[in-house]
Amino acid sequence: MDVIYTLIPGMTFMGLVFFAIMIWAVKRGQYEDMEGNASRILHDDDEDMMP
Amino acid sequence: MGCQSVCAAIFEAGLQSYYQRTPEGTLLAPPPEPPKDIEIYDFDEVQQEFVTSSGDLRDIHLLVEGIHCAACVWLIERKLQREPGVQSANVNLAAKRIHLRWDSKRTKLSDLIRALARIGYSVVPYDPENAEGAIKKANRSMLYRLFFAGFAMMNLIWISIALYSGANKGEFRDFFHWMGFALTTPTLLYAGYPFYRGAFGGLRAWRLTMDLPIAIGLSVTYAYSTYITVAKSNVGEVYFDTVTNLIFVILIGRYLEGMFRHQALSSTQRLMELQPRVATVILDGKEQITPTRGVKLGDHVLIKPGYKVPVDGVVLEGRSTIDESMLSGESVPVSKSAGAKVFAGTVNANGALLVEVNSTLQNTVLSKIIRLVEEAQSSKAPIQRLADSIVPWFVLVTITCATITFFIWNTENFELALMAATSVLIITCPCALGMATPMSIAVASGLGAKHGILVKNGLVLETLSKVTHFVFDKTGTLTEGKMSVAHRLIAPDIDEQDILRSAAAVERYSEHSAAKAIIAEAEANKLNYRDVTVQGFHATAGLGVQAEVNGDTVLLGSAEWLTQSGIPLNAELQAQAHELEAQAMSCVYCALGNVHVAVFALADKLRDDAQQLVNELRAAGIGMTLLSGDRKAVAEAVARQLGGMEVIAEVLPQDKDRVIQRLQQEGKVVAMVGDGINDAPALIRADVGIALGSGTDVSVESADIVLMHNGLDKVRLATLLSRRTLLTIKQNIGLSFVYNAIMVPLAMMAKINPLVAAITMPISSLVVIGNAARIRNLFKNEKS
Repeated sequence: MDVIYTLIPGMTFMGLVFFAIMIWAVKRGQYEDMEGNASRILHDDDEDMMP
Repeated sequence: MGCQSVCAAIFEAGLQSYYQRTPEGTLLAPPPEPPKDIEIYDFDEVQQEFVTSSGDLRDIHLLVEGIHCAACVWLIERKLQREPGVQSANVNLAAKRIHLRWDSKRTKLSDLIRALARIGYSVVPYDPENAEGAIKKANRSMLYRLFFAGFAMMNLIWISIALYSGANKGEFRDFFHWMGFALTTPTLLYAGYPFYRGAFGGLRAWRLTMDLPIAIGLSVTYAYSTYITVAKSNVGEVYFDTVTNLIFVILIGRYLEGMFRHQALSSTQRLMELQPRVATVILDGKEQITPTRGVKLGDHVLIKPGYKVPVDGVVLEGRSTIDESMLSGESVPVSKSAGAKVFAGTVNANGALLVEVNSTLQNTVLSKIIRLVEEAQSSKAPIQRLADSIVPWFVLVTITCATITFFIWNTENFELALMAATSVLIITCPCALGMATPMSIAVASGLGAKHGILVKNGLVLETLSKVTHFVFDKTGTLTEGKMSVAHRLIAPDIDEQDILRSAAAVERYSEHSAAKAIIAEAEANKLNYRDVTVQGFHATAGLGVQAEVNGDTVLLGSAEWLTQSGIPLNAELQAQAHELEAQAMSCVYCALGNVHVAVFALADKLRDDAQQLVNELRAAGIGMTLLSGDRKAVAEAVARQLGGMEVIAEVLPQDKDRVIQRLQQEGKVVAMVGDGINDAPALIRADVGIALGSGTDVSVESADIVLMHNGLDKVRLATLLSRRTLLTIKQNIGLSFVYNAIMVPLAMMAKINPLVAAITMPISSLVVIGNAARIRNLFKNEKS
C-alpha cells in the first residue's frame, strides 16, 4: 500500500497541471462565446460551393 | 434598405445556404438601418482610437447589430473572408462582436463596413478595453477561484471517503490528514480570499455581512483541523473537506450573482458613438474634414443632408429640417433656418446648413445626457435584496449560538466544546441562504429570455413585483413612433382613392415625414401611385409641395400654403380639420386643380397592446404617468385615448430623470418604460428600467429589462415572472431556515459528526436548486 504515498501527490500534481491549462484557456478567451464556437465546427469550408 | 435587398445581396454573393443554417422558427427581424457617414472610419485620426496596427495590418473590434444565431456567424465570416485584404474575421456570437484583421493598403475599412451593411448587419467600431475592463476582470478572477476550489474539493472528497471508511484508524491517517492540509491551505488563502475581504470590509463599516460567519466558520474549522493534524490527536476528526466544499458552493452562488450585475459601462459607450467623429469645417472658404475634438468655438461647420450634427451651434445659412427625436422625443422633424440652434447627435434631413459652433465636446446637450446617465448610475441606491435584510440577524444568531455552545461544553471538555461550536458555525453556514437568490434569478432569467423578456439586471426581478408606479414614455413606447394617416376628410363628389393616389404620387418626391405617412396610406390601400406621371415638383420648406399630375396642379401642405396660392378653403373640411387639430393631429391640406378637395389628418398611432397593458395596470391599482418631450396637447390626447392618466409633457431629458426622482421621494417604487436616448437617464434612475427591443441601443443598454419584439404586453409576463421569483426566493429562505432549525440544536448538543455535516450540507443546497428550477413551469400556458 506504500504506493499511495506517491500516487496521491502525483494525482494532485496532475490536477494542478489541468488547472493551469484551464487558466490558459480562459485567458485565451475560449469560454467567451460558447454558442458561436459550438456551431462553427459544423460550418464546412466548401459547403457554399455545393449546389 | 429592407429584407428583400439583403436577401438579394446574400444570393448574389453565393451565400444562400445561410438560409439552411438558420434555426427552424427563428424569425429574422428586419435589418437595422445601415450606418451613415462610415467614410470617416478611414481617417487615421479616427481609427487610432480603436485600431491596434502593425504597419498596414490592422486589428479592430466591431460591435454588430442584427446578429441572431450561428448562421449569422457563418455568413459574416464568409462574407468578410471573401473581401480582398481581409486577413481574419472572428465573430463572437455571445457578445455580438467581430474581431477583424485587415490590410489597410488593400482595402478600406468603410468598404468592409458597407459590405456588412449590404447583408443586413450594422457595425460600429469600439474599444474593448474601455468598455468592459473592470467587470470582466472581476468575473474572471472569480472564475479562477471557483475552478481552484472545485479542483481541491474533488480531490479532497476521495481523501474524505478513505477517512470515513476506516483509514482514520490505520497507518495512513497522518498521511491523509497532511494531504488534506496541503490541499486546503492554498484553497482557503486563494479561493477563500473574497470572503475574508468581505468580512473585514463589513466589520470596518460596522456591518454584519454574510461573509462574516463564513469567514469565522472557515477559519475555526481550518484551525481545528490543522490542530488535529499537527498534534496527531486521536480524539477529533479533520474537517478539511467541509472547508473546501463550503468555499466551492458559495463561490458558485457568487459567480452566478456576478453574471447578473448590470453592465452599466456600455450605455455611455453607446452614447459616445452618437457623436460624429469628424466635422466639415469651412476654413478660408475651403471645406476641410477635421476630427470633432479638433473643432473650436466659433468655427464654421458645414452639415450636409443626411449627416449627423457634430457639435452644438447656431445656423448661419441654409434651411433644413432636423430629426431631433433623440433629444426631445418629438417624432416630427423640426425645421431650421438662420438663427436656429442645432444640437450634436441630431440628424440633418434635407438641406445643407452652415453652423457656427457655440459649444464643443463636453458641453453639448448630448454630453450633458451622457453625464446625467453617469450620475444616475453612480447615485442609484443598490437594490435591497430580501436575503440581505435577513443576513445580519442570521449572522448574529449564529455567532451567539456558537459561543453559547462553546461555553456550555467547555465546562466538560475543551476539545468537545471546540468541535461542537465549530459544527454550529459550519452547519448554519448559509449555503442555502447564499444560493436562494442567485439560483432563483438564474432560472427566471433563462425563462424570461425564452419568452422575449431579456433580463439584463437579474436583481430587479425581486423589485419588479413591488412596483407601485409605472412611468411611460410616449413616442415609440405607447405609440408606434411614426406618423400615419388617422383620418381622411374628402370633399363630396371626389373619388377618395383617386385623390389619395395623386397625393401619394406627388409626395414620393418629398422628404417630409408627413409625405411618408401619406405614401404608407396609399400602399396600405394597394394604390398604384408609382405609375402616375408627376411634373414640375417643387417644395417650399415649412409650407408644402406643389406638382402637376395629369395636367392638374396638386398642392399639399398647410392651410396657409393653400391660401397663399390663392385657393379658397372648403369651409366644411376646415371645420372638421380644426376639430381634429384640437385632438393634436396635424392636418395636411390637399388641393386639386385649384380646388380644396381633401384633408389628411396625421397622428402617431397607439401600439396595439398599449390599451390592454394600461387597463391591466389600472385594474391592479398601479399608478401611471405619461412622460413626453412632445407638445402637451399631443400627450394629453394619447392619455385620453388610454382612459386617462397623469401627463407630464414638454419635458427635457434631465427633467425625466427628475420626475422619477420625485416619485421615488414620495416613497413609490417606480418602473420606467421607454425607448429613446432621452429616456436613458430615467431608465437608469428608475427602480426598474424597461426598454423596448426596437428602441435605441442607448436605451437598451440603460435598461434592466428589455422586451423583445416590442411586446408591450410582455410587461405583464415580466411582472408575473417577478412575483414568482420573489415567491421562490422566499420559499428558499424558508427552506434554509427549516434546515437550520433542525440542524442547529443537534449541533449544539454535539450530536453532529463530520459525516452527517458532509451529507446534509449538499442536500440543503440541492433542495434550494430544485425549488428554483420549478420556476420553469410558470409560463406553461403562455405561448413562447
